[in-house]
Amino acid sequence: MLAALFHILIFPGLLFLMAYSLFFDFVDRKIYARLQNRTGPRWYQPLADFLKLLGKETIIPDHAAKKIFTFLPIVSMAAIAAAYLYIPLFLPESLYPFDGDLIVVLYLLTIPTVCFFLAGWFSTSVFATIGAVRTLTQLFSYEVPLFMALLAPALLADTWSLSGITAYYSQHPFYLLLNIPAFLVAIIACQGKLDRVPFDLSEAETELASGTFVEYSGRYYAIFRLAIDCELVVVSSLIAAVYLPMHSDSLLLGIVIYVLETLLILFILALIRTIMARIRIEQMVVLCWKYLTPIALLQIIANLLLKGVL
Amino acid sequence: MTKTFMERAVDWGRRKSPWIIHFNAGACNGCDIEVVDALTPRFDLERLGMLQQGTPRHADVLVCTGAVTLQTRDRLKQIYNQMPEPKFVIAVGSCACSGGIFDGCYCINGGVDSVVPVDAYLPGCAARPEAIIDVVNKLLKKWEEKQKEE
Ligand code: SF4
Repeated sequence: MLAALFHILIFPGLLFLMAYSLFFDFVDRKIYARLQNRTGPRWYQPLADFLKLLGKETIIPDHAAKKIFTFLPIVSMAAIAAAYLYIPLFLPESLYPFDGDLIVVLYLLTIPTVCFFLAGWFSTSVFATIGAVRTLTQLFSYEVPLFMALLAPALLADTWSLSGITAYYSQHPFYLLLNIPAFLVAIIACQGKLDRVPFDLSEAETELASGTFVEYSGRYYAIFRLAIDCELVVVSSLIAAVYLPMHSDSLLLGIVIYVLETLLILFILALIRTIMARIRIEQMVVLCWKYLTPIALLQIIANLLLKGVL
Repeated sequence: MTKTFMERAVDWGRRKSPWIIHFNAGACNGCDIEVVDALTPRFDLERLGMLQQGTPRHADVLVCTGAVTLQTRDRLKQIYNQMPEPKFVIAVGSCACSGGIFDGCYCINGGVDSVVPVDAYLPGCAARPEAIIDVVNKLLKKWEEKQKEE
């Protein structure tokens, strides 16, 4: 019981996730800055931002639905932290593995996006509403290719559990190369999931102020920001677990491998963020449905055929 | 009154992460160019923790340029009221400090301090980006010292 609480709340659960996400945010901003030939933020910058927001006055707009408005940041944070528990991080198995945890993780990761939509919707500000509608449009375009791309390797491994995928691919490491198209699709689609350039349409600072979060301030905005950072960690861990399942039985080595893998994925994500500009919403829908979905579909068909052959 | 650990941590955070929002109250655009200049990679405000925010709800420092016209007067007041406490206002440029060359014009209300309380004045036509960075830094330093005395 105590051990379970320790795992869930401290390591590798909530507290570790928060600390690692602040570090991740720093690395992300630093890479972004260095690629733009800037010095970039100091290492404690995300922590300072978080503390400052915690101490600021919290304003709730008169027209907003107060209960939901204050509830949403916590729900999204909780969903993300729950998803983190089911991903194998340092050891070949996650904390609570069961058959089908891949699907559960994917759906838990949808909850924050829905929360962002509701947050914008219930702020009843024009900017926030437009941002909210865009969040939903985005959800409908990237979700399908992202899910298909993440399920393709699982199909080849003939299991719906993340630990099963790890076990299968550590026996046949070369089969990982077959999943490269799906990996690329997932990397592009998860930029949409994470609201990052080129798909940061719902936040679009120049046109929508800050989109969905326009009315959020102080504590609630701090939790939302933390949730977004944690989502970045969880999604990179998920991609690492599905496409680069390299784990070792010793905890220490496992941690090193985990950090290196996730930083590699973060580097790719930051690179995309730097070299791209924001695209329009209909361009995003076209990109996702016309190009990413067919590639992911082809990958699934190929994996199904291969499974018969291999 | 001694402060708890959490209060001191929050004070530290405030000092290290001033987020700014830029508002043009009727500038000739000269000062705005300089503010934007201060945000470009050459000066890199992020290394000091400053970020530009799109909405007043997230901002700590209102960087206001230009003399306040009758048109923008109410908007400036509204934006100021939308910012959560603690908040600071910096008047950038001679026009924002006093009305500058536009002072006395039929459509001008006066400097920024004729509408909202101003914490720091930065004269110059136009104010240099180095000066803008410096004024934010000095403002927070002064605020920090005041916080320590309390
Ligand atoms: S101070 Fe000079 S540059 Fe700045 S707004 Fe006034 S006239 Fe323009």
